[in-house]
Amino acid sequence: MDSDGDDYVFYGTPIEREEEISSRKKKAVAKSSGHLRSLPVWKQEVTDEEGRRRFHGAFTGGFSAGYYNTVGSEKGWAPQSFVSSRKNRAEVKQQSILNFLDEDEKAELDGQSLGTSMQFDTFGFTAAELARKQAEKEQQQRPSAIPGPVPDEIILPVTESIGVKLLLKMGWRHGHSIKDSNANSQYDARREARKAFLAFSSDDAKLQLAESEPVKCNIENSTEQPANDDVLSYESTPVYVLNPKQDLHGLGFDPYKHAPEFREKKRSRICGKEPGNRKAYMAKDNLFGFKSGNVAPGFGIGALEELDAEDEDVYASGLDLVDTYVQEVEEPSRLITDSKQKLVAKEHGVLPGFRVASNSEQQLERFDAPVIPKDFVPHHKFPGPLETNYKLADSPPQEVLPPEDNNLKLLIEGVATLVARCGKLFEDLSREKNQSNPLFNFLTGGNGHDYYTRKLWEERQKRNSQSKQQLDGKLSLSTQRMTAESRGKILGERPLDRSTKDLGSSVASAEVIQLQFNLSDTFTKPASFSGLPEVMKPFEDDPVKQERFEQFLKAKYQGGLRSTDSSGASNMSEAARAHERLDFEAAAEAIQKGQWGKESKFSPQQFVDFSANGGMQFTSGGLEQVKDSEADDLVMKKMFPKREECQWRPSPVLCKRFDLIDPYMGKPPPAPRMRSKIDTLIFTSDSVKSTKVEETPTANRDSHPTPQFDVQGIRQDVSSKEIEVEVEVENVERPVDLYKAIFSDDSDDEGESISLNKVEDPGKKIEAATTTLNRLIAGDFLESLGKELGLEVPPEMPYPTNKAQIPASQKEGVDTDAGDANILPVQNKPSSTPISRTRVDHEQPHDQEIAQDGRSGKTEFIHGNSDRTGSIYMETSSSGKKFDKVNPEKLAQEHKKARTPSGRHQNWNDSSSSEDERSRSKLSGKYRHRSSGSDSDSSIDHRDRHHSRSKGRKKESSREKSSSSRRHSKHHKRRSRDSPSRSRHESRREHGEAKRERRKKRD
Amino acid sequence: MSASDVLPRKEANVLRGHEGAVLAARFNSDGNYCLSCGKDRTIRLWNPHRGIHIKTYKSHGREVRDVHVTPDNSKLCSCGGDRQIFYWDVSTGRVIRKFRGHDGEVNAVKFNEYSSVVVSAGYDRSLRAWDCRSHSNEPIQIIDTFLDSVMSVCLTKTEIIGGSVDGTVRTFDMRIGRELSDNLGQPVNCIAMSNDGNCILASCLDSTLRLLDRSTGELLQEYKGHTCKSYKLDCCLTNTDAHITGGSEDGFIYFWDLVDASVVSSFQAHSSVVTSVSYHPKDNCMITASVDGTIRVWKT
Repeated sequence: MDSDGDDYVFYGTPIEREEEISSRKKKAVAKSSGHLRSLPVWKQEVTDEEGRRRFHGAFTGGFSAGYYNTVGSEKGWAPQSFVSSRKNRAEVKQQSILNFLDEDEKAELDGQSLGTSMQFDTFGFTAAELARKQAEKEQQQRPSAIPGPVPDEIILPVTESIGVKLLLKMGWRHGHSIKDSNANSQYDARREARKAFLAFSSDDAKLQLAESEPVKCNIENSTEQPANDDVLSYESTPVYVLNPKQDLHGLGFDPYKHAPEFREKKRSRICGKEPGNRKAYMAKDNLFGFKSGNVAPGFGIGALEELDAEDEDVYASGLDLVDTYVQEVEEPSRLITDSKQKLVAKEHGVLPGFRVASNSEQQLERFDAPVIPKDFVPHHKFPGPLETNYKLADSPPQEVLPPEDNNLKLLIEGVATLVARCGKLFEDLSREKNQSNPLFNFLTGGNGHDYYTRKLWEERQKRNSQSKQQLDGKLSLSTQRMTAESRGKILGERPLDRSTKDLGSSVASAEVIQLQFNLSDTFTKPASFSGLPEVMKPFEDDPVKQERFEQFLKAKYQGGLRSTDSSGASNMSEAARAHERLDFEAAAEAIQKGQWGKESKFSPQQFVDFSANGGMQFTSGGLEQVKDSEADDLVMKKMFPKREECQWRPSPVLCKRFDLIDPYMGKPPPAPRMRSKIDTLIFTSDSVKSTKVEETPTANRDSHPTPQFDVQGIRQDVSSKEIEVEVEVENVERPVDLYKAIFSDDSDDEGESISLNKVEDPGKKIEAATTTLNRLIAGDFLESLGKELGLEVPPEMPYPTNKAQIPASQKEGVDTDAGDANILPVQNKPSSTPISRTRVDHEQPHDQEIAQDGRSGKTEFIHGNSDRTGSIYMETSSSGKKFDKVNPEKLAQEHKKARTPSGRHQNWNDSSSSEDERSRSKLSGKYRHRSSGSDSDSSIDHRDRHHSRSKGRKKESSREKSSSSRRHSKHHKRRSRDSPSRSRHESRREHGEAKRERRKKRD
Repeated sequence: MSASDVLPRKEANVLRGHEGAVLAARFNSDGNYCLSCGKDRTIRLWNPHRGIHIKTYKSHGREVRDVHVTPDNSKLCSCGGDRQIFYWDVSTGRVIRKFRGHDGEVNAVKFNEYSSVVVSAGYDRSLRAWDCRSHSNEPIQIIDTFLDSVMSVCLTKTEIIGGSVDGTVRTFDMRIGRELSDNLGQPVNCIAMSNDGNCILASCLDSTLRLLDRSTGELLQEYKGHTCKSYKLDCCLTNTDAHITGGSEDGFIYFWDLVDASVVSSFQAHSSVVTSVSYHPKDNCMITASVDGTIRVWKT
């Protein structure tokens, strides 16, 4: 009815042809089945059975539009006849979805409904259930011998699952293997037949037929099959054996991955139930590879497949001969493996493929250590460096009278001395040389030989003692140099209290020492313990045990790593060793107790770790004090206790929990420690400790005053540069009146305005930043003001501005904590604010009334402690507060008093006041300070009004920070062009007026 | 000898039950009960006057080194080798919260006056304050200026005082945000406040107790005679501040006169190290705990 509907008018419905109808039907079916459903609702068409479009509604529809798809009949709903359920109420009416469906819906649903059918009861559960129910029913009817439902639940009627049934039909019987035994072609053919049969047998109707069929098939196809079947029938279905995880390998780890031949070995070892014949066989197989011939090559055994029982069986019969042969060869090995299996229980550490010797003759035989004679001293005397020493031990020759000939005597003595000094070689040489000389007969045993020998001995003796002394001296020196004790003594350390402290040295002094020995002693310490265990011989009856005990003690006392057990103990069992260990500990404790009383040189420390009671111990061996001398005590008393003081910042929450006011409330969190050079120079973070003692102006430690000083210092530096510039410019005296005109109006309410600000925003952290910013702005303002007035004002320095942030921020913090809503003029936070400001107070008489309300406390403090250079930040902040509250008037007086000797402050100001300080020396201090005061004032004004602008400035200022002084001139120019400064100035004035009004109101 | 007459020297009760060393024994705030903790990982609540064991608190995984109870006896806090601070409900015996954060064993623990904060001293050289009010398990304050293990902590209304093995007694004043460090030169084992709050008694590992003036840091007196070289031994002042008492490693208890530092009395109280002493807040009564596993109650 679209395009051509306009031209033609049709009456009636056109007669449709047969094929059209049928095609439409098909279409309708297709549509209704799938297509329609996917369409949106408004596009779906309703069709009747014949596929015609059916219309709904009075205007578009035909006669049937009224009830189709809506009600059951032409007349509307057919009411169900009412049936009273009163009588058969008990009858439980099972409702299903079918109760609520129309016929056509039911018809639709018919094909789609899902249900279980007995036919596919694969596992037989449903059948079993049915059977059980059936049995139950029967049970109820007939009486049971055993009362209760027990037997019925236990004994279930046997049903077979469909799978079992099928298998049975296929010729399988219980207890037989399902697996195909052969993979040969004949069997394959048979399997094909079975498949075909299966296909047929699925149909119930053909079941009977099918059953007879396989029999035929069997008979026809497999003539040789029976033999195989026979073989198979022996093979019962293998019980599913769970392979417990018996090893300690991780999941999935296969230790035999690259050595599969060991796998079988292990398995055989674990389950020794397989017939020995096959096992040995398989072991051989696996050990020597698959090519042994027992298994036909290329038959079903892949590299990854395991050797199958069936596979082997098949070939076992064929290769009987080989088998027996192999068996014979393998006989001894089998024995071995058997024996090994026996051993396995005992010795687990044997590698597969290796065996443990049956007799333990190879075991290490241990010999007892040679018995050391009792008088044996474990010192080895090394031969001395000189031969002479060697002969020392010789018994001295007889004392002989010197020969009468004096010359001879002298000669003999001389030679003896030389020989003693130079060694025997000299004697031999001289003997050789003077063989003919009768004077030297004494060398060869002639006249005076006895005397010579005696003399030689004496000389040697002498020399020896000398050298010994020398050595001794050296040794004592070296030992002193070497020991930590002596070093400690020199350094004033407390010596460690060691039990063996002087053992070594005493031994050294007692014995004849040579350097080598000494060295060896330091390394091996043979003697150091000979003394110690003497006292403790609790196991005297058992020398071996005693020895071990000593070893144990040694290990104990010597510290360090516990030495491995002595060889004697190694053949003891673990339990015995542990037992002995306990014994030893007990003994050691006993000894310790015994000694504790007697010997003070054994400090209890050493034994503490044996004592079974383990309280809390401190390893304070190093700290332990040897009895201090009186002098030491005195020194100690003088030194300690030593008090130090530093800043600590409690967390706000902690203060809250302790119900205290956070002393740092409103302060910015401690600045993260900055690492850059400049920053570390300038900022000292809050956490830096400071000792009161060290509080000197130069000390960079005190966190609060230092930034200030630094600021000042640097300002000074920078400004000194500036001054030079300025001095040139400033030969014209600044008109005092002008300044007065500008600043005087503000000076009155300066404190007020600031206090106002403070009242408005205590505790706001942002404020700290903004004040500093405003100070920057104020600097700008001053500068531009100077421009306007035709004066050269040095540009704001990057350093001072930078610095100004810190004191300002600190000031803010003080403000907020010191005066909780107390109106405190800013000027009176002297320690942290630029000091020039405090001076403003002192020099401005008209500020007095403001001074009365409490700031005096602070300023007073400054004066009082000014010899400490105002570093006592703490006092100013805390006790200043107290003063404020307690006695303002009195303090005010004090303040007045203190005001006069403020020379020091002046000094400070000279150093601290910023750029224009020096250059404007001609100006009176009053105005100067006013200017600086007002500069901060104005800044604070601006904080209120020009917040956003100040933010913009912030960026600028940060840029300035980074900029070097080189940039100043440029900077300067830029500033001079800055017009907003004027407006700022004006606004400031307005603001000042507004404030004055406010103040009046309050007054 | 009227002075020594008031000293508790008669054994009134022996509290047995701990298996192993008892590391701390503490009276509660009114002195009617006492708490002990020890190596057996338990905390025990006793009535020392009747010698009754009331309750056992088990949850610690390692030895319990210190325990403290709130003034209202409703909550406990304990600490120990498992690096945690346990916050207990006394009546139910359940752990309300565990504060983790110490990197080492926790040596001592204390409630503040309002029982809102637990301050713990740890082997990790820090004092940590834990908030009992909020549900955060993070410490609200970490004080890590100590140079060595912090052994003991004391709290006043406004200060946190810690004694450390680095030889210092550090006072952290919350009102003014200052840290006062008194260096004694000897490892400090235990600190105790005098009842008037003016002095602090520090037990040092050189077998000396030292009494410091808190305001000036001055060393007022030294008390010697006992042995204290390797264990954490408690010390305390008597309720009248007239005497000082402390245990010794040989099982003795010593009483010193506060002023002239003379040993007023000493007697063998335990067979082994006396780890802890606690003096009754009002009466002349004292409890001592020892490594021998007993807690003894001493009365005059």
